[in-house]
Amino acid sequence: MATSTKILALAVLAVLPLLMNASTCIGPQVTSNVYTTSEASMSISTVFVVEVAVKCNNGEKDLLLFADVNGHMVPATQSGTGKFQVSWSDEHKKLPAGTYGVRFFDEEGYNAVRKEKRSGTDGSTVTPIFTVNVKHSGTWTGPYVQTEFVATCVALLVWYMAYRSKSFLMS
Amino acid sequence: MKSLFLLVVVFVAVRSDNDDHAARLLASKSILNQFIVEGKELTVEYSIYNVGSSQAYNVELSDSSFPEEDFQRVSGSLNVKWDRLAVGANVSHAVILKPLRPGYANFTAAQVKYYPTEESQAVQVGYTTAPGEAGIVGLKDYERRFSPHIVDWATFAIMTLPSIGFPFLLWYRSKSKYDVKHKKN
Repeated sequence: MATSTKILALAVLAVLPLLMNASTCIGPQVTSNVYTTSEASMSISTVFVVEVAVKCNNGEKDLLLFADVNGHMVPATQSGTGKFQVSWSDEHKKLPAGTYGVRFFDEEGYNAVRKEKRSGTDGSTVTPIFTVNVKHSGTWTGPYVQTEFVATCVALLVWYMAYRSKSFLMS
Repeated sequence: MKSLFLLVVVFVAVRSDNDDHAARLLASKSILNQFIVEGKELTVEYSIYNVGSSQAYNVELSDSSFPEEDFQRVSGSLNVKWDRLAVGANVSHAVILKPLRPGYANFTAAQVKYYPTEESQAVQVGYTTAPGEAGIVGLKDYERRFSPHIVDWATFAIMTLPSIGFPFLLWYRSKSKYDVKHKKN
């Protein structure tokens, strides 16, 4: 009697993880597509768009992703099965050129990060499901020097050289 | 006096009962460009803010105001879903498009569908703000005003070369002849 209840308990324990709806992704295969604003006249703030297509080895279809964007947790939008998008924007000055690491978490990871943040730490110890590196080559705000200015300087230089040699000849 | 007080209390209680436990989403759509130029990126940003008192479920944003033949999709998707939006959550979504033709374009609202509570069966449909009408500048006009015109300046420099170079050449020839004569002396 005791052994049969033990066996039953063990069986229930074995089956329990399968029954729990913890949608995690095991062995994600990620393809990412990243866009960052390149010209300042085309956008008043720098916008980053990260699109990912995720395929899980465990065939997880109801995956919910959250991304850590510059210390701020945002939910990723779903644009199809396994396709997610995260976008954020800020002033041009606040998003200089460089590589930004965007960490993606599932619900478990997201709750873990929130708990850590509430207890004061920055949540960087939680391991993400995957990370996408966003390379931003800076937002172009125009040439350093206008070509008209360069042309004017060259013209003035030529005139000055001619004037100098003329006054030298006349003297 | 007491009855009046009781009436006020009941009134207040009834008023606060009307405030259901439901989500309410405010959505905005804005174009971040200073200039909208044919063949250059057009940045559209959507913001959704939950001002209700409950989570919003199955939030769906769909924008059908950018036909394929007039706008090429560069990055981002025009039909996206959020599983849940918490109370007070402020999320943003960006889409990058490329206008294929110059002219006037009317940027209309996108649609937002969501379920205000977990049990609600009826979907709530709302719309974002609409940026309105704007002109898409042709690429040639934009470049005429804003490009650095390096080739044009180089051509100009080459064209001025004869009128400056010719007298200089004459002077240089006579100067070198004079110098040789001086050495001979």
